[in-house]
Amino acid sequence: MSNWIWNFPEVMRFDIGTPIDKLVIYLSKNFDSVFRFIKEILVAFTQSIYYVVDTIPWWLIIILIGIWGWKSSGKPARGLIFSVMLFFIGMVGLWPLMLETVALVIASVIISLLIGLPIGVLVSGSERANSILKPVLDAMQTMPTFVYLIPAVMFFGLGQAPAVIATTIYAVPPVIRLTSHAIGQVDAEVVEASRAFGSTWGQTLIKVQIPQAMPTIMTGVNQTIMMAVAMVVTCAMIGAKGLGMEVLIGINRLELGRGFTSGVAIVFIAIIMDRLTHSWSEKK
Amino acid sequence: MLKRKALLVLATICLATVFLFGCASDGQQSKQNVTLKFADAGWDSNKFHNAVAMFIVQNGMAYKVEEMSGTSTLVHQALKNNEVDIHMEEWTDNLTMYKDDVAQGAVLELSLNYGDNAQGLYVPRYVIEGDEKRNIKPLAPGLKTVEDLKKYKDVFADPEAKGKGRIYGAIPGWEVDTILYNKFMRYGFDKDFAYFRPGSDAALAAVFSTAYEKGEPIVGYYWEPAWLTGKYDLVKLQDTPYNKETFKAGIGDFPAVPVTIAVSKKLPEKAPDVVEFLKKYKTSSALTAQALAYMADNKASYEATAKWFLKNNEALWTTWVTAEQAEKVKKALN
Repeated sequence: MSNWIWNFPEVMRFDIGTPIDKLVIYLSKNFDSVFRFIKEILVAFTQSIYYVVDTIPWWLIIILIGIWGWKSSGKPARGLIFSVMLFFIGMVGLWPLMLETVALVIASVIISLLIGLPIGVLVSGSERANSILKPVLDAMQTMPTFVYLIPAVMFFGLGQAPAVIATTIYAVPPVIRLTSHAIGQVDAEVVEASRAFGSTWGQTLIKVQIPQAMPTIMTGVNQTIMMAVAMVVTCAMIGAKGLGMEVLIGINRLELGRGFTSGVAIVFIAIIMDRLTHSWSEKK
Repeated sequence: MLKRKALLVLATICLATVFLFGCASDGQQSKQNVTLKFADAGWDSNKFHNAVAMFIVQNGMAYKVEEMSGTSTLVHQALKNNEVDIHMEEWTDNLTMYKDDVAQGAVLELSLNYGDNAQGLYVPRYVIEGDEKRNIKPLAPGLKTVEDLKKYKDVFADPEAKGKGRIYGAIPGWEVDTILYNKFMRYGFDKDFAYFRPGSDAALAAVFSTAYEKGEPIVGYYWEPAWLTGKYDLVKLQDTPYNKETFKAGIGDFPAVPVTIAVSKKLPEKAPDVVEFLKKYKTSSALTAQALAYMADNKASYEATAKWFLKNNEALWTTWVTAEQAEKVKKALN
């Protein structure tokens, strides 16, 4: 009896691991065509982005990013630094790998925004929807990635498709949270005024609420991009090519220099993406 | 005022506890307080051999034991730094720095745990022979050697590279990954196939087992003994015989990799009896595979599998230890 006080009673134990195993195998077997369809779309999408960035000559990318950095911040020095960073990545021989990584990040970010922005807008009006969604978003951000990485592999095989999905799961919460928050924070009187002038729900949303909420929404977008970049190395563990794979090879072989070089390249990409998108949220 | 008093009392209690416990453990500095750390590089056979050795060391020699996990390179590094004491499975050819470290005495090699393993490119048997029970047709009936793969690039189609097949390579960073890639280029696979690095052994296992469950064709690197090769019926593709000179360049079959037991250079003074025991520790690929299959079939824990193994192989392990130690282990088993 005293056992029951100090040890959790054996009788109350029940196993949810085995049913989950079975469910995953059942789904992967019986919905194979569905997963295959999604996989083909994702692979085609990611590869077309890669194709686009790959066709632009390297020097044009460096120049364009430089100009963009300059124009968006008004500081020519910033544009120059971005160009130097990219030039460095080329000089250490990581240019093609960087393109793979960037394609993956862009694909995941686009999908995250396509999912995240509408959801954020939809739940912004409802306290209840927000309170239901919140724990789900918490789970997406804190669940150890390998837990859903391996099922993703079982459904979608190895490579770009599961990488995009895992990255999306990890990167979508901030844009949902901040969009919902931003629209909810728009002054009620402003909304009321627009309604009083006879705007429909859609008109109020597009012409009043979203422009007002834009800076905060862009902060969410910016965070989503950063989290997508942060997933790069994890995704290499399920076979996504690019800088992450290079880091993985480097640390697995204890070639610290190799790992460090690609690590620095990832940091550079993150900085460039962050500063460029951050300027959107500051401008308005 | 009251608060400060309470704090003072608390502080006194804390200090007293520290002193008391400190004295207590100082008083009886016996080997019960020596903790031996076992390296866990992450794969099943490593964990299984850890469980076996830990059971003997714990019950037969009264040491405390602990496992420390990390990737194969990290735990090897930890062994060099004396942060880990014992590594039951050093896959010597897969670790670039292993031979130098042994030569320089940075780690001590005690025994060859087993050396009759295999690695290479595997396909499920149904790909070659079909499986009537599961209604799978043989998609590559003439597939026998690595060279034969070229005829079947469409069978192993790569979803990310149009018109090419996909060969799953080894885990990036393992020594064998480089060798396998050399082979891939040497044999001229790059025209028809993509060499795909799976990124981690968990991912490789997942992709093999889902393909097998679905009955789909797959070809990739794997090794024996492993639970996967024990559980599923996989066939190793033949290669030209192993050649010491050319094998690193990718020509010829993989040799069996010596899987050794290595310990930190401090272990002999820390636990001499354990060193004596580990010097005699020797199993085989078949024995390991048997235990792993038992574990996969029964969903048993590593410890339960180790007990099962010790009960069934008494004649073997009693030669590793002294009679007195063997008695203690036997008592703990029952």
